[in-house]
Amino acid sequence: MKNQFKLKILSNKKITDKLYYLILEPGKLAAQVKPGQFIEVRISDGLEPFFRRPFSVFRCQKSVELFYEVRGKGTEILSAKNKGEVLDVIGPLGTSFSLPSKKVKQVVMIGGGIGVAPFMALSDTLNNKGYELVLLYGGRNKDYTFNMSEFKKNGCKVFVSTDDGSVGVKGKVSVLFNKIKADAERTMIYTCGPRAMMASVQDFAKKHGLKGECSCEEVMACGVGVCLGCVVKTVNGYKTCCKDGPVFRLDEVVF
Amino acid sequence: MVNIMNLSVNIAGVKFANPVTVASGTFSDAWDMKNIKQLGALIPKTVMLNAQAGNPPPRIVETPSGMVNAIGIENDGIDAFITQKLPIYAKMGVPVIVSISGKTDEEFVIMAQKLNACPSVALIELNLSCPNLKHKMLVAQDAEATARIVALVKKVVNKPIIAKLSPNVTSIADIASAAEQAGADAVSMVNTFQAMVIDVEKQKSKIGNFTGGLSGPAIRPIAVNMVYQTAQKIKIPIIGMGGIANADDALQFIMAGATMVAVGTMSFIEPDTALQVLNGIKAYMRAKKINDIRALIGFLK
Repeated sequence: MKNQFKLKILSNKKITDKLYYLILEPGKLAAQVKPGQFIEVRISDGLEPFFRRPFSVFRCQKSVELFYEVRGKGTEILSAKNKGEVLDVIGPLGTSFSLPSKKVKQVVMIGGGIGVAPFMALSDTLNNKGYELVLLYGGRNKDYTFNMSEFKKNGCKVFVSTDDGSVGVKGKVSVLFNKIKADAERTMIYTCGPRAMMASVQDFAKKHGLKGECSCEEVMACGVGVCLGCVVKTVNGYKTCCKDGPVFRLDEVVF
Repeated sequence: MVNIMNLSVNIAGVKFANPVTVASGTFSDAWDMKNIKQLGALIPKTVMLNAQAGNPPPRIVETPSGMVNAIGIENDGIDAFITQKLPIYAKMGVPVIVSISGKTDEEFVIMAQKLNACPSVALIELNLSCPNLKHKMLVAQDAEATARIVALVKKVVNKPIIAKLSPNVTSIADIASAAEQAGADAVSMVNTFQAMVIDVEKQKSKIGNFTGGLSGPAIRPIAVNMVYQTAQKIKIPIIGMGGIANADDALQFIMAGATMVAVGTMSFIEPDTALQVLNGIKAYMRAKKINDIRALIGFLK
């Protein structure tokens, strides 16, 4: 397959008990990735775990970087991989974030947990383009928060909430929605995270007439739109998360 | 010395350059199509008379060495298939086998007639065995119903007919035999095994359709045995499938009696699996000094 690559791991670091940061050599892949796209990683050469695992690309400038949560057996195996090992990846896959129109002044990225991953690549692209960049990040607790300096370097104003209040404001990320300028013409929203969170963003956007996009996550088999296993319910019927998405118009998805 | 190797096989007068194809449901034009030209045949995902949205998600879950799916034949209907998809597949230059499923006998007949009028369709596969369509019973679980539909379709078409069979039966060889007697030109086997996976944390099924069908390497040894048992009973060719991941797996099906083999679920994991299977079969024949693939079909008695 022409977009299948074997890339060496340059580093694979533990950031918190739950979050890991993996850097792969760029190969021919890095230059092809657009913000919001994902790659499918073969976790093991054998049949366990069976499916490849899809990961949003965190960064793709000089390397291919993934920011991932250890959630099940696939990510557990991935987290134990060492520098020098080679990963078999397919990508870039799926749709990317569309860039804000020229009228837009404020770009708000709303990430829940590891859903923050694609926003580094997006902020890399939008930095120094004249937008006010805002990142609203909601995590469960300390294990799901991390140093936001890279986002800040990209010019993002960063606001954090945690469910237990251990970092930032206590509550769901919706407690930070007051940072969003409710200006239908000049605000653009991007969101990625748990369904319930994206549903709350969708409600807010609808109420204020804001445009936005969301990046969805589903269990995937093929990753290229063949098996039809990863469908997302939308107002236009079922659509594949891997090929029609993962990035959809915010008002299109039925959460 | 130039060693001329024959990989071609024949089903009901249709010649295939080699015995490796893709299983319906695991192939569409969303694949990188360049490799596909090297295969023996194409079998796109089953189409129905009318467009169908498919089952509610989640539709898939991984299992040990395999997966359970309940897609529910999401498709755009036969007319859209013929006008939009078939021309793409026809350009690949390999025989196209179109898989169809009807909700009634009449639907099978209408679809078969439509396909019979398409020059680019080489064979018609009757999917009598999708486990995810909320029928109480699959056609392929009933020898009489299988024979009835095969005979009805056979009466109205002159293209060869393949019956796709379910492994969810007491004796798949008996169903295959009924299909043969009704005039089927070949059988393809096996479809998925009805299965379920329960999320004990959430205390519900991991599949939106409640149950689904198991495929992948997990089912391979059972499928090989079913092909073997069936090959002892019928004379028409068998297209064998069930968890083929490499040439060794494919050769097991061929030695058990399959004339062709289809790579299915593994293509989701390794998109080039079918091509690797084909190359592996060639390497095996070279190493064993076998000049004709047909010498291997049903080799194991």
